[in-house]
Amino acid sequence: MTNEAQGRPDRAVEMPKTVPLPGLEAYRADQQACAAAEEAKWQKQLSDYEAAKAKAEAEGKDAPKAPVKPVAKPEGDLKAPVPTEAQDPDLLRLKDVFGEAVEEFFEQAGECTAQIARDRILEVLRFCRQDPSMRFEMLADETATHYPAASDFAFSVVYHLASLSRSKRLRLRVLLPEGFELESATQVHRGANWFEREIFDMFGIRFLNHPDLTRILCPEDWEAFPLRKEYPVAGLGQRDIDFREDRSGRLTRRAQEQAGHSAINLKIPTAD
Amino acid sequence: MAVNASAVQGPTLLENILITTKVEKVINWSRATSVWPMTFGLACCAIEMMAAGASRFDFDRLGAGIFRASPRQSDLMIVAGTVSYKMAPIIKQLYEQMPEPKWVIAMGACATSGGPFDSYHTIQGVDKIVPVDIFIPGCPPRPEALIHAFMKLQDKIMSGSMADRYRDVFEAVEG
Repeated sequence: MTNEAQGRPDRAVEMPKTVPLPGLEAYRADQQACAAAEEAKWQKQLSDYEAAKAKAEAEGKDAPKAPVKPVAKPEGDLKAPVPTEAQDPDLLRLKDVFGEAVEEFFEQAGECTAQIARDRILEVLRFCRQDPSMRFEMLADETATHYPAASDFAFSVVYHLASLSRSKRLRLRVLLPEGFELESATQVHRGANWFEREIFDMFGIRFLNHPDLTRILCPEDWEAFPLRKEYPVAGLGQRDIDFREDRSGRLTRRAQEQAGHSAINLKIPTAD
Repeated sequence: MAVNASAVQGPTLLENILITTKVEKVINWSRATSVWPMTFGLACCAIEMMAAGASRFDFDRLGAGIFRASPRQSDLMIVAGTVSYKMAPIIKQLYEQMPEPKWVIAMGACATSGGPFDSYHTIQGVDKIVPVDIFIPGCPPRPEALIHAFMKLQDKIMSGSMADRYRDVFEAVEG
């Protein structure tokens, strides 16, 4: 698809930068990488200084000024919240009960997150809802994120659970490769119906055992999935549609048909 | 003396009770002073439109206070808000259900040009679907702006000529 066909010849479509998946392990790896880079920079400065000093001594000049090791600045009040070890009893209990199925769990800014194995999510949701010590009765939100740069997964689906009786919240997430069909949360929370339709509409993630998995926001004949990162902001040619062309009174999308778009696109994304 | 008086007064009285004008002008005047808008809001501009209709701004002074709930009884469509591609066929259908003569006001940045929604899902101006008479800038425009636009529309209606409006019909009949 050329830029002209996207209706914006003046604007190149480029892949937006994606943030890494938040998590304790990723954060620690990032911190270690930063520390290693700092250390390498300091070693380079030191060796440069030694070389300059030796050269100055050989030439009989004054020795250059010695470098000072930079001290990390103390962080102010506006410190970004970092992920920390989980202390929350709910998270610990989840780990106790499900073991390996809880792939990662951490707290950040007072919010609890657990990453669940994608084939166990239904079980975990049911446990969170029904267990007398958990009682997360409400699915406050279900949404997804696209991570095109990640190697072993493409999407994360995030469940925001709320417990009205305990005034607590819990976030669960699963990581999915392209084309994976996740068990629908409607089997535990009926309110997940429209959330999952929206996720399907925007990302093309399909859900097993969902009562009515159709588009909910976009028109039924919409092409592709708009919240995927590779989707251009100006759309895939929808702006070429000139509704004024049709004088007969019925609104047809002639330009779209001429451009070769089919009517309804419910293609299953392939895993390549 | 009495005969003379009646001869003087006769034409004066007649001038007091008669107006000479054109049929077209009378029709335009009646249309411009009783424009019935359609109850039709798409987004936040509709809130300003409601304010314009309520007592503080009182759209009714201009003859446009009767918001009709059916396009069949409306003369004016105020497109107040963001037009999405999913909504476009519905707007077009409503416009076509309105009887002639009919006018359209595109209210606010979204309806005139897509506004801040330079995206895949928003029609970049409602004039891509229906012919627009008046565009109002603003995000959202204040009720005063809508009233000003409506007065401009009244000017347009008053200056309208039936010959122009139905030119293609006349040409079809003649040719």
